Amino acid sequence: MAEWNKFYHNEDDEEEQEEGEQSGGDSKITGRDSLVFLVDASKEMFINGEDGQLSKFDMTMQVVRNVYTSKIISSPKDLMALVFYGTEQSKDPSKSFKHVYVYHDLDSPGAKRVQDVDALRGLKGAQLAAETMGSGKTSFSDALWCCANLYSDIKLRLSHKRLMIFTCRDEPHGGDSGKDRQARTKAGDLKETGIVIDLMHLLKPFDVAAFFRDIISPPEDESELGLQLEPCEKLEDLNKRVRAKKLEKRANARIHLCLGEGVNVAVGLYSTVKAARKPSPISLYRETNEPVHTKTRTFHTETGSLLLPSEIKKSQVYGKKQIVMERDEVDAIKKFEDPAMFLIGFKPMERLKRHHHIRPAEFLYPEEDEVKGSACLFSALLTKCHERNVFALCRCISRRNIPPRFVALVPQKEELDEGKVQISASGFHVIYLPYADDIRTLDPPECPTASQSQVDKMKEIVSKLRFKYRSDDFENPALQQQYRNLEALALDMMAPEDTEDLIMPKVEQMNDRLGPLVQEFKDLVYPADYNPEGKPAAKRKPADAGGGAEKKPKVEVPEDELRERAQNGTLGKLTVPVLKEACKKFGVHTTGNKKQELIDALVAQLGQ
Amino acid sequence: MAGAKSASVLCLDVGFSMSNSAPGEEPHFELAKKVIQKFVQRQVFAETKDELALVLFGTDSTKNSLDQDGQYQNITVHRHLMIPDFELLEEIENQVHPENQQADWLDALVVCMDLLQTETEGKKYDRLNISLLTDLNTRASSEQIDVIIENLKQAGITLQFFLPFPVEDDEESGRDAGRGSPGHPGMGKGLSDEQKSSVDIVKHIMLNLDEENGLDEVYSFRNAIEQLCMFKRIERKPMAWPCQLTIGSCLPIRIIGYKAVTEERLKKSWTTIDAQSNKKDDVKRETVYCLDDDNETEVQKDDTIQGFRYGSDIVPFSKVDQEQMKYKHDGKCFAVLGFTKQNTIRRHHFMGTQVIKVFSAKDDEHAGVALSALIRALDELDMVAIVRYAYDRRSNPQVGAAFPCIKKDHECLIYVQLPFMEDLRHFSFPSLENNKKFTPSDAQLSAVDSLIDSMMLSEENDNGEQEDMFKVHHIPNPAFQRHFQCLHHRAVSPGTPLPPMEAWLKAALECPEVIAERCQGPLEEVKRKFPLTEVEKKKKLKTSAQIFGKDSGEPDAKMAKGDEEEDYNLADIAEGSVTSVGSVAPTKDFRTLIKKKCLPFGEVCQQLICRLEQLLSNKNTSYFMKSITCILAFREQSVELGDANLYNGYLRSLKKSIPNRGLEVFWDLLVQDAVTLISKDEVKGSSVSKTEADQFLVTEEKIKEAAAPPADTGDVDDLLDMM
Repeated sequence: MAEWNKFYHNEDDEEEQEEGEQSGGDSKITGRDSLVFLVDASKEMFINGEDGQLSKFDMTMQVVRNVYTSKIISSPKDLMALVFYGTEQSKDPSKSFKHVYVYHDLDSPGAKRVQDVDALRGLKGAQLAAETMGSGKTSFSDALWCCANLYSDIKLRLSHKRLMIFTCRDEPHGGDSGKDRQARTKAGDLKETGIVIDLMHLLKPFDVAAFFRDIISPPEDESELGLQLEPCEKLEDLNKRVRAKKLEKRANARIHLCLGEGVNVAVGLYSTVKAARKPSPISLYRETNEPVHTKTRTFHTETGSLLLPSEIKKSQVYGKKQIVMERDEVDAIKKFEDPAMFLIGFKPMERLKRHHHIRPAEFLYPEEDEVKGSACLFSALLTKCHERNVFALCRCISRRNIPPRFVALVPQKEELDEGKVQISASGFHVIYLPYADDIRTLDPPECPTASQSQVDKMKEIVSKLRFKYRSDDFENPALQQQYRNLEALALDMMAPEDTEDLIMPKVEQMNDRLGPLVQEFKDLVYPADYNPEGKPAAKRKPADAGGGAEKKPKVEVPEDELRERAQNGTLGKLTVPVLKEACKKFGVHTTGNKKQELIDALVAQLGQ
Repeated sequence: MAGAKSASVLCLDVGFSMSNSAPGEEPHFELAKKVIQKFVQRQVFAETKDELALVLFGTDSTKNSLDQDGQYQNITVHRHLMIPDFELLEEIENQVHPENQQADWLDALVVCMDLLQTETEGKKYDRLNISLLTDLNTRASSEQIDVIIENLKQAGITLQFFLPFPVEDDEESGRDAGRGSPGHPGMGKGLSDEQKSSVDIVKHIMLNLDEENGLDEVYSFRNAIEQLCMFKRIERKPMAWPCQLTIGSCLPIRIIGYKAVTEERLKKSWTTIDAQSNKKDDVKRETVYCLDDDNETEVQKDDTIQGFRYGSDIVPFSKVDQEQMKYKHDGKCFAVLGFTKQNTIRRHHFMGTQVIKVFSAKDDEHAGVALSALIRALDELDMVAIVRYAYDRRSNPQVGAAFPCIKKDHECLIYVQLPFMEDLRHFSFPSLENNKKFTPSDAQLSAVDSLIDSMMLSEENDNGEQEDMFKVHHIPNPAFQRHFQCLHHRAVSPGTPLPPMEAWLKAALECPEVIAERCQGPLEEVKRKFPLTEVEKKKKLKTSAQIFGKDSGEPDAKMAKGDEEEDYNLADIAEGSVTSVGSVAPTKDFRTLIKKKCLPFGEVCQQLICRLEQLLSNKNTSYFMKSITCILAFREQSVELGDANLYNGYLRSLKKSIPNRGLEVFWDLLVQDAVTLISKDEVKGSSVSKTEADQFLVTEEKIKEAAAPPADTGDVDDLLDMM
């Protein structure tokens, strides 16, 4: 029975989610992303910075760890490797390279790997590194070759391959032009197989032109190389830069933005914000802890024979009548037209109401390789919308068989931070707009307004508690806790690491900062005998000592009345507990707790 | 709150004068009936607890509780107060007809009032209403009128009139009714004396009930139908969420929150039923757990435990442990973390699926003042509060922004969820601005500029105010409209294919006509200035369905053009789901069935013909296109199987029936596509020669000239009349 309930629920939920969420990306790009960290292990990397700054090696390890743990959360199936070059010791699967140390080969990161990287951090980490790997000569071409082998050993389909080089030496071979040339050739080979090579250089001054310019992949947008070539010396910057690169962007959908008859711009829809959820649990066999998979079958209750999809129809009951449709008809109802965005017109930005929000925004960017000329028209539209401070209103169907929604395309100009790292890309934000049904009618209560002196006092309070908001300031405490727990279990730790709840108000600091202001404000607005925490009236009668059992007296309605109500359709007047009780009485199985379901079940029973 | 429902009585005049009509118009009775049908439909689908009664007057018989001494004759209470259902709809469809008597409409009103009063006694209703649908063509005895008005007022009953003609306010329009709408349908030859005096009584009553807007509740049948076409939007009662807004530990303000905007879902979902018995209890679904070994060994559910992936590791983690170790918090809260400038909150960072409006607690003046101080302070400083919000103990806390909102009649905070660090994806995209290849020229920019000019949806009106021509938040969700339209259609005319989308709905989703016209020029300019060329795609990865389609001899581009429904679906075929030619994708079903050879060719053809006839009986271009693909498929398969008789026979009979059925438009399409008989050249067994086949379409010219222009698009209801 429990399964049964679940089945109905699931079906319901799934359908809803399907509509709401832009699930898993593009059918064209399937496969896993991969990322290799190629880290310089020369002596220079271990030099501690001035005033207690981390060594470059330490900094890199922190970044690697961050990437590992965040990948575990965001895309646990992606593959990662950690390789050191310029080591004394050598370790690689083929045992053919010197001065290259494959610390982790390409695989999805797990708890063990996080621990391994942790072990390389700090002073102890430096020691450990010195013991296991040491610092030695550098052969960059060997290092690259070794990495290439890592890729070729993978039998899975890789959608995106990236190699990140972390170093503080701009001339790894100390000017040996022969070795430089070898390395360049090797890098060319790698790039040819679709591997993107990035440089994370960690020390000023760094002459990219000396060696690395020919190693790394050219930037996608062919803009001047200068953009990337500022070395980052701070952990925070490095984190940011790595973060920007580590995720391969994947379109939720590629569709046409139709400005009018025959003017179709190819665009991709991307999720730049998406609620990270707890992973769904998997079932394991108790004896062996191996994963089990589930199969669902639909069969006939009486004959027990499996039902083919053609032997199933769908129905809904309205006003006591069962309405039946074929399965494909149910889908056909949802289909309005083929996926596309149709321009309706433009509106001034102030017409976009803040409270017209129903789901997170998406991001729109042209797809030049689908329709040539898209980027130019898109760019012109963007420039003009931005200049005139208008947004474009479109009817949008992002996938097949989903009904249309209206969206506002809000222009976004490119924004860079001081380190020339892109904060916002240029494109349109896609804001989903509500229909009439989505807006609820509220009856705003009549409220007194505050006097200017009261407002002014509050302004002082507000100013005291002012801070600079950044969208990545807050971690999700529930999610973090879940992963710390898993981490603890996976790593056999005694207790999970403490998580700091960043969205807890720092009450004491706030009180300190406000000082007497709170009391002054209260004196202005609350009368002396007013208790703002108090409840106006006892909300509920205090529960008797007896507790639960008595709280809900059994509610029963005589059978006759039920029949009568079922007949003239007034069962709805009864409360859910009463209906449930009635269902029990007649031995009616209900599939859920929704009122209508209970009523339907009863009507069906009593109507017989 | 539980008693918030309404009771209304629909009071319909079925007297003989209601069957009158102006030339070329539907009888008043039919219009009135439509109003009632639409109204009841809405109620049925909205599934409110609102109750409805139906009183008919002018009936041959008499059945009401006031029937005594020859009073209140010819008035029938057809249905007592109860929740409306499809039974009522069917009764209205089949049992409510014009009859041969006339009854005093004021008497009928009294019967309705009596019914409302007796049947609502002892129960709570928030609204009592009587809707009277009549042509007012009986002389009403107005002696009792003041008593009636008094009674209506006392009982709190509201009144609505639905008349065949509009009624105007005397002072505005003088005596000649119909000033606002000259030639309003339904006016006919003008009003009879009875009607004129009745109109006066109606006005008297309505203005007495509500001096200002009384006449707003008098509708004409036509307007009512138009308004009722839209299925009632889903109404939800807002749930109050009482809480305290806290700033630090010492400053609480009692608040109350309401969900203000959220994506509404349909209340009901589809249940799976057995196709034969239509019962859901006959279908059972079962989930089994299998090991990943070669035999897929089944294990009991009880022998499974819960685990999670941690990267490449799998960690067993029981539900109990999880519950114990999970993040816990103190429950409900709305706590300020700090304040920040409004411009640091980006619109595209809004998370979640809802907007909450926060007011001060009810009946707490002091909380009201405190909250107002906060709202105004934020507004004046252009700042927002960043808050921790938790709905209750069970739900995870969020971080969000509370914006000040000051309106004419109320003040509130607007709360929207903001992202957590984990939710952000820092994609970087190549710059569009720094790329010379993509930089538009000045001429291109100005073309876009004039396009924007021509497509501005907000314009200044005569009063200098900005007027919005396209308000999305006034459009009902088209998915719901379509859903209910199809459900209703299936409920009242089972066995017929689903209707096309309603015209008004289609139009509501399109660009306003003014704009569409105005932008033509600038759009052409944009087209000229920006060359757009579709890139020839490298071989896409084929999905199995596509491959299957190719292998199965999928007809060439002409057939599949633009019709997604024709796509083969591997799953459908593999699972053997097609057992007959359905209405959604008849061609596909037809081909599949023939391919599978499980039914004789003749029978499959017969099924296809059946669907074809259904489609054609609904004279509509979109159905025509579908019909043509059917005929093409019929022809193609006949040629392939070398059996031309069935096809040729059908096409001949179709041709014969064209003039009678007004299907000339459709025939033209067939001619255009040169869909003719199968000749000997194609199939040996055919008795038709090549010339005969060619001639077949040519002779049609004469028929076309003789035939009358095709009739108006048929009503959905007589969809199957042709069969």
